[in-house]
Amino acid sequence: MRAAWAAVTLSGAKGAISGHAPFAGFRVTLILLLAAACSGERGPGAPVRLEISPAGEHTLVTLIPASHIKLNARLKPALELADGSVLRFDTPRLTADSAYFAEPPAAVLPGRHSRVRGTLRASVCENDAPVCRALVLEL
Amino acid sequence: MHRFALAPLLALSAAAAGGLALETTSRALAQSRQPLLGVREPGPAPSWKNTSWLNAGRPLALEELRGRVVFLNFWVFTCGNCTRTVPSLVDFDRKYRDRGLTLIGIHTPEFPPYAGEHDRSNVERALRQYHIAYPNAQDNDAGTWDLYGIRYWPSFVLIDKRGVIRYEGYGEFHLNDGTYQLWDRRIRELLLE
Repeated sequence: MRAAWAAVTLSGAKGAISGHAPFAGFRVTLILLLAAACSGERGPGAPVRLEISPAGEHTLVTLIPASHIKLNARLKPALELADGSVLRFDTPRLTADSAYFAEPPAAVLPGRHSRVRGTLRASVCENDAPVCRALVLEL
Repeated sequence: MHRFALAPLLALSAAAAGGLALETTSRALAQSRQPLLGVREPGPAPSWKNTSWLNAGRPLALEELRGRVVFLNFWVFTCGNCTRTVPSLVDFDRKYRDRGLTLIGIHTPEFPPYAGEHDRSNVERALRQYHIAYPNAQDNDAGTWDLYGIRYWPSFVLIDKRGVIRYEGYGEFHLNDGTYQLWDRRIRELLLE
């Protein structure tokens, strides 16, 4: 296993991002990782959550890190879709050393979608731990 | 803004279907706050099988390095914690190569090939950018990463002249900080044996 979080697959969350028609006007937020909340242990909480919202004819998917997490900007987070295509999350606002995102990165999913399925990958770094880990989540 | 209340449903499904994963995550989060440097119970270093090497005329084998102290650095050029540690490693290589230290970078990608970390030319560019002159193995299948049970970028393994793992650790450090000095002492200790 590459990293501790690479072991985390929320199979119970498959297809969990879903909205009701009509989609427009709604914003759907999914807390991807409920680990700390569910385990009963005191911890820093979910490392990331995914937010989807309409963007014209398309869908904006935003990856929001928890306050204790930095997202590695040198390895843009990716959403691998079932058709083999890969969406990369990005934003021009970076930290001064250009190593991390200074605001949540986003990706545009072509077309209107009320749910997102695929594999989410992100390189995440805790603020107080000088290491990076690979985060892999099946949506 | 209307917002769906999905969290309770997700919590239930995740708790039901992913209980083990949740426990694993919590343990990992807790472990990340443990001390980053450890003295390892001595044991033989496993032999890596990497075939693609940079800064080396041919693949290096652990067996041919008997009599030298070997310092492995597991890294990837997209990791800021890794690249900020490189100046210290370059310094170790400069100070101790002629005294018997072989520093080896094990370049292990985080993402699949579409991210570019697997490309030899990108690794070569990073070696030039960070003035890395010591050998580096491309560990694109994470074979050596798994062989050594590595979990974090960057990680380190210090192997003595007999091929025995003596120290291991992980985490960014900087020239002349406390962690640098600790690794420096350990390297000198093993060079004197």
